[in-house]
Amino acid sequence: MAWIAKPSSTMRVDRRSEPYLTEAMRSELTSKILPRYATKQGALLPALHMVQHEHGWIPAQAMEEIGAFLGLSAAEVLDCASFYEEYWLKPKGRHVVAVCRSIACEFCGHKQITDAVREKLGIEIGETTDDGKWTLIELECLGSCGTAPVALVDETLHENITAEQVRRLIDETRDGSHHH
Amino acid sequence: MPSFAPEKPVLTQRIPTFPWADPKARKVVSYDEYARTGGYAGLRKAISMAPEALVEAVKDSQLRGRGGAGFPTGLKWTFLPKYDGGQRYLAVNADESEPGTFKDRLLMDFDPHLVLEGIAIACYACRLQTAYFYIRGEYHHQARVMENAIREAYDKGVFGGNGLLGGAVTAAGEPWKVDCHLHRGAGAYICGEETALLESLEGKRGWPRNKPPFPAIKGLWGKPTIINNVETMAHLPSIVEHGAEWFKKQGVQSTIGGPPSHGTKLMGVSGHVNRPGVYECELGIPLRQLVDEYCGGMRNGKRYKGAIAGGISTGILGPDQFDAEMDFDIGRKYNVLGLGTACPTVFDEDTDMVGVARNIARFFKHESCGQCTPCREGSQWLFKLLTRIEEGDARTKDLDLTLEIATSMGAMPGTTICGLADGNNWAVRTIMNKYWDEFESRVKPTYIPVTMSVGAGVR
Repeated sequence: MAWIAKPSSTMRVDRRSEPYLTEAMRSELTSKILPRYATKQGALLPALHMVQHEHGWIPAQAMEEIGAFLGLSAAEVLDCASFYEEYWLKPKGRHVVAVCRSIACEFCGHKQITDAVREKLGIEIGETTDDGKWTLIELECLGSCGTAPVALVDETLHENITAEQVRRLIDETRDGSHHH
Repeated sequence: MPSFAPEKPVLTQRIPTFPWADPKARKVVSYDEYARTGGYAGLRKAISMAPEALVEAVKDSQLRGRGGAGFPTGLKWTFLPKYDGGQRYLAVNADESEPGTFKDRLLMDFDPHLVLEGIAIACYACRLQTAYFYIRGEYHHQARVMENAIREAYDKGVFGGNGLLGGAVTAAGEPWKVDCHLHRGAGAYICGEETALLESLEGKRGWPRNKPPFPAIKGLWGKPTIINNVETMAHLPSIVEHGAEWFKKQGVQSTIGGPPSHGTKLMGVSGHVNRPGVYECELGIPLRQLVDEYCGGMRNGKRYKGAIAGGISTGILGPDQFDAEMDFDIGRKYNVLGLGTACPTVFDEDTDMVGVARNIARFFKHESCGQCTPCREGSQWLFKLLTRIEEGDARTKDLDLTLEIATSMGAMPGTTICGLADGNNWAVRTIMNKYWDEFESRVKPTYIPVTMSVGAGVR
């Protein structure tokens, strides 16, 4: 529900001296990404992806930095970023299990997968474990209906997944490892 | 050979697929392998033809867009204004997010150059200088495969540099240079709507635009823009190479006086079948044959109960419509919205159709962009009502209310900017109408019948 307005006027902006949009990101944006688009704003989605890939989420300060870099107001960046579900504007766990809940997955048993994760980690959908390691969410169609049920663990799709497999996956994921 | 299998696979010629080969042998086809197996022959032939002749050939083939709406591709191309040397764009729609649909992914996963060759052909034919490949954010792996393939294509002189195919002179008199960039979405179904896709490319919220102006006149950054589906692109190399007549030998004629359904189609079958997956068949295959001959029949020997025709927006094929032919007549013949993406989700006899309707209503409630009141509010109401019906708390009159909301929120054109509400309407309305008894048995009667006796006879 991308249209639900978030009260940004009262949003606390935690600041740090080190920029989120690093020099390396700025130079990649300048040399590779900006030339692809007719306007600087065209690079907004790629810039947001970049920050999120690096930091796991997109803090308000990062949105201000991106805005300044692309010649947009912070509000314009927030307006765009808050529309897209994949952008995390609040911190999430270091790893995310996203179980697909759409038509084929629900009727091929997605609930067993979500329940296995809920029980294993002791969290509900939308919550993060106390140690900040895992977040559980459910998403709409992941485009893999032929191998339902499926779950996206970080950036890796697991097809025909079983409750047993998802439990094992959680056990075997160590911090620092990235599911690529 | 199963019914409606083309003699040789077209879109899956390099992607091992039943019945021709074992899907276990699938791997990414590199540029070298693609070129060695006849790849880029279509593009070579294309640049030896005048751009207008190419548009004419695609028009002649009567290829209809494979993204869901089935609009004739060649006709769409002719909506472009006459080329005046200005910037024009191609946006390839790889935002495959319609629940039930997973066919474009097969091409991106394994044969990216087939798509890129189609992109190059379309850009040459329509005089487009820049192509954007808009891929949904969740397709992480596919984005990496496509990025690599685009890089290979640049290295080999397909894109960039001095022009297509290393700056070869074209029939238009000079080389034609095309740039191709991948652009990742970020988890918004609505960005598959063509004008929302353009907004998203411009770095904005994915809010569909009012039409007209149509994108072919005023699209990306106000410039003429063509938006085509991934599978549509993948059809172009073979159409150019073998000609429109060859293409028209596949598929079926309309049986109700409509336009024909030519060519093969990737059909991704999911749900309660033995071998779900993507199959390439000629258009016109009855759903029953698709399930029995390609998918190994219904799972666990259960009986068929219904099937989403091609993505949830299209609505449902009822218990007596298992023999529906998968072609562009399907909407008018079987009371669904249309063929959609031709990716049916099949349900067996144990499926709770009220649950199916609720799942679909939740999807649309979640994905409504919020611009138009009928869709934003209507999708919420539908979900609440269907949840209430599913949980047994609804009354008979709520069934009528649900139908009324569905019908009034999705009445394209007129009430909303885009077709999302209409998809919601078709899905909910067809499921309710085709499984009315099931819905009725879940609700309490609105009026409780009371028997009383009055008058002289009472003692």
